[in-house]
Amino acid sequence: MPVPEVSILGEFEQVVLLAILRLGSDAYAVSIRDEILECTGRDVARGSIYITLDRLETKGYLRSRLADPTPERGGRAKRYYALRPKAVEALKESRRALVALWRGLDGVLA
Amino acid sequence: MTGRLPRGVDLLLRRLLPGDLADPIAGDLLEEYLVARDRRGDLRATAWVWAEALRLAALFRWERVACGRGVPPIAEELRAVTGFSDDLRRDVMFSARMLRRQPGFTLVALVALALGIGANTAVFSVVDAVLWRPLPFPDAGRAMQLAEQRPRESRWFGPVAPADFFDWQRDTRSFASLAAWSFSSPSGAYNLTGAGEPERIQPLKASPSFLAVLGLRPALGRDFRPEEEIVGRHRVVLLSDGFWRRRFGGDRAVLGRTVAFDGHPFEIVGVLPAAFWWPTHPDVVVPLALSGEDKALRGAHFLNVVGRLRDGVSPAQARDDLGLIGARLAQRYPAENANHAPNLRPLREALVGDVRQALLVLLGAVAFVMLIACANVATLLLARAASRRQELSVRRAVGASRRRIAQQMLTESVVVAFLGGAAGVLVAAGALAAFRRIAPVQFAGLPGVERAGIDVRVLLAAVLFSAITAAIFGIAPALISSDAGLGAALADATRSSSAGVRAQRLRSALVVIELALSIVLLVGAALLIVSFRNVLSVSPGFQPSQLVIARISLPAARYGEHGRVVAFFDALYDRLRGAAGVEHVAATTSLPFDGLDSRLDLRIENRDDEFPFPIRADPRLVSTDYFRTMGIPLIRGRIFSDRDAESSPNVVVVNEAAARRYWAGRDPIGRRISLGARNDWRQIVGIVGDTRHEGLDADAEPAAFLPQQQRFTSLGAGFERTVTLILRTDRDSATVTPALRAAVASVDAELPVGLLRPMDDVIGESVAPRRLNFLLVSAFAAIAMGLTATGLYGVMAYLVAQRTREIGVRMALGASRPAVLLMMLREAGAMTATGIAVGLAGARALSRFLATLLFGVSATEPMIYVAVALLLAAVALVAVLVPSSRATRVDPLVVLRES
Repeated sequence: MPVPEVSILGEFEQVVLLAILRLGSDAYAVSIRDEILECTGRDVARGSIYITLDRLETKGYLRSRLADPTPERGGRAKRYYALRPKAVEALKESRRALVALWRGLDGVLA
Repeated sequence: MTGRLPRGVDLLLRRLLPGDLADPIAGDLLEEYLVARDRRGDLRATAWVWAEALRLAALFRWERVACGRGVPPIAEELRAVTGFSDDLRRDVMFSARMLRRQPGFTLVALVALALGIGANTAVFSVVDAVLWRPLPFPDAGRAMQLAEQRPRESRWFGPVAPADFFDWQRDTRSFASLAAWSFSSPSGAYNLTGAGEPERIQPLKASPSFLAVLGLRPALGRDFRPEEEIVGRHRVVLLSDGFWRRRFGGDRAVLGRTVAFDGHPFEIVGVLPAAFWWPTHPDVVVPLALSGEDKALRGAHFLNVVGRLRDGVSPAQARDDLGLIGARLAQRYPAENANHAPNLRPLREALVGDVRQALLVLLGAVAFVMLIACANVATLLLARAASRRQELSVRRAVGASRRRIAQQMLTESVVVAFLGGAAGVLVAAGALAAFRRIAPVQFAGLPGVERAGIDVRVLLAAVLFSAITAAIFGIAPALISSDAGLGAALADATRSSSAGVRAQRLRSALVVIELALSIVLLVGAALLIVSFRNVLSVSPGFQPSQLVIARISLPAARYGEHGRVVAFFDALYDRLRGAAGVEHVAATTSLPFDGLDSRLDLRIENRDDEFPFPIRADPRLVSTDYFRTMGIPLIRGRIFSDRDAESSPNVVVVNEAAARRYWAGRDPIGRRISLGARNDWRQIVGIVGDTRHEGLDADAEPAAFLPQQQRFTSLGAGFERTVTLILRTDRDSATVTPALRAAVASVDAELPVGLLRPMDDVIGESVAPRRLNFLLVSAFAAIAMGLTATGLYGVMAYLVAQRTREIGVRMALGASRPAVLLMMLREAGAMTATGIAVGLAGARALSRFLATLLFGVSATEPMIYVAVALLLAAVALVAVLVPSSRATRVDPLVVLRES
């Protein structure tokens, strides 16, 4: 299935991307999950985070790098994530679409 | 905060998650796991991390499917969790493929291992059963044999005089109980009459305390009571389990019933437990009831004694205790008890006796066979590894670790070893079945021999043997071949590398070892063969061919009087002399090669002072025609005639051994002797030739022959009633049997005739253990030689194959065939000479273990060593010449063109 150049981001994808943006250089799975919990109150399954990160990377929204292994992680590296420009574009597009859809509904959903 | 994930979790993640994610995810989980552990405890944290890991694994698997990425089959993934077993499985499959692809190698290796492991397993099962398993009695370690030692006669465990036994029994403080039992030769059988067919059954006469000594109780009914060793109250019997089932159908109501032995009624008071075992395999046990007169005998030694040590008393303490009692008795009864003393040893040693040494020699022999088989397979593996060097080098070049390759090579060895082991167990089962058929009758008296078979212990031993063989023959080749240099793949395979040199050195060492071990076995076998031949060439002192023997036991009820016994035999001889095919007929109370004699103290008239210690002789009651029938030569004087009747003066004939020992340089004829330390004087009328009595390899002991017609009671009234009939006939035993049975029946219709057989068989039986010994060791030596020849052939064939090009070049340059052959022989000659030299030295060192099994040949007989060395050198020559001469026949041009 060919992946479209720019697709509408899924809701959870947006959540994850926004969390990464907020974390800046400290975005790895555990901190992302914590950030989501903090901001939204949602306790997300770890698996969903990893799968979503994997998917987003495959689709070209994210890039990752392995940091040097640390002893407190049993000598294992952390995988840090950062947004590619494409992701920023997609987030903007998503917000634009959502804002457009929200417009005029304040009375209904207030 | 540091720590680690649970091992399984780690493995699971590593195997089941995408490669690039596994590590960071594991790291993330560890972070959280450590936090959870601090907050919620180890157990809950572990449960949590497991659940999380499994969820992740499942999720990623699903994700991959959902995204259309390839996934490995689930089975493989699960196996992958245990990486080592996966490698193992692959190695095993690979080994099986390799073995199938090289049927020649596989066959030779498997045959070698099956013989090696099979022989070991079979011998182990016998040795284990006989020497190592506990005797079938509770706390059997406390059961001891007590005996009389007579250092002057080199007898260490001789039978005991009744009076001594009762003194020991009364005075000992070391034994909870002592019991005597009387040696019961086949001729001591009872005639069972009354209930069904008359039958000869084996009794064991034993003190009432016998079962207590063994720690047993009757399975049914009661044990003997102490007063039942008194004559008159002794007519009670315990049945063996087997006899009870066979004769009485296992009827529990048998208690209280009466059976007739030799015409006397005995009340059945109990049945022995099924586990009861005794070397004489008795059908029934009856109390050993000695008359007051017999109990007082100190000069007649015919009891066997067993005792159970008191708790907390060591054998050494018991020995001291017995020593004191013996010293007191020697002081009180110097005439009889001087120069002999009590002795003791564990019951097992008494039961196993001489067989122990033979079994240990066999165990050593099979261990050698196994080592040779190992060396053999190791040379094969090395040769094979060499031919796979390129393959191994390629594998190393593409990243296989040395450990990985060694592991795989070792796996192949283990597979070969265990296949060989499985075949070996089959070989062992067959060998044991054969062993049971050919086992000499003497082996029936060994504890546990009937249980020797393939059981769990033996199977475990076979597995152990297989593992040991795999380790021995597999490790060195695995290490050497895994060391193949990375560059070797590109190098010419025939060029030597360091690994190649080492392999060659190892191969030579293995051949040397094989040769050396073979020499040791061959020397052992040759010594035993020569001993056996020496034993067979010993004259028994009589003519055994064309003699048929049969046993007769007259019941005391009808033959209590001496006159009736004489009348019976006179009538029987008359009938038999007229029978077709019977040339001579005679009888004796102790047939040569048929168990031990009873020895009696001997007094020579007017010469008591000359012998401060008791001198002894074997008394043998014989019929008038005995010497003529047996073909025993008269040396001087006369043999018995019909004039030597009960009423005429008592006479005796002695053998040469007695004349030599007690009348050296004097003439015994006309002298008077008394047997059994009473004034029972008999005049010596003749000297006859010695006969071997306890075996062809045992020197003749002093013997005194007494005429059957004359009364002789030193060994009890029953002595004369149990005799062996001897017929000299020109027909085989089967055709004489009916005539003999008819003759006995015509004199006494109720008398069974036991054990009719040719005398040659009796002698054959007496050498059977020796024959078995030499047959087994020879078989092992032959296997060893065959394996060694194969090994040598294989190594030489390999060397020749490697040097074919060199040989071709040499021959192209004008080397003659003999010159090339000589060159190859020089190489092999060095190996062979070393192997033979090492082997001869080893054989010389080990031969002392054989010494007790040899006869008429020294364990260091140089001729044997030379002969064996030559034999093996010849075998080696053939094994070298065949492949070498093949190499010299190749066309040099072909070889050179190929290279």
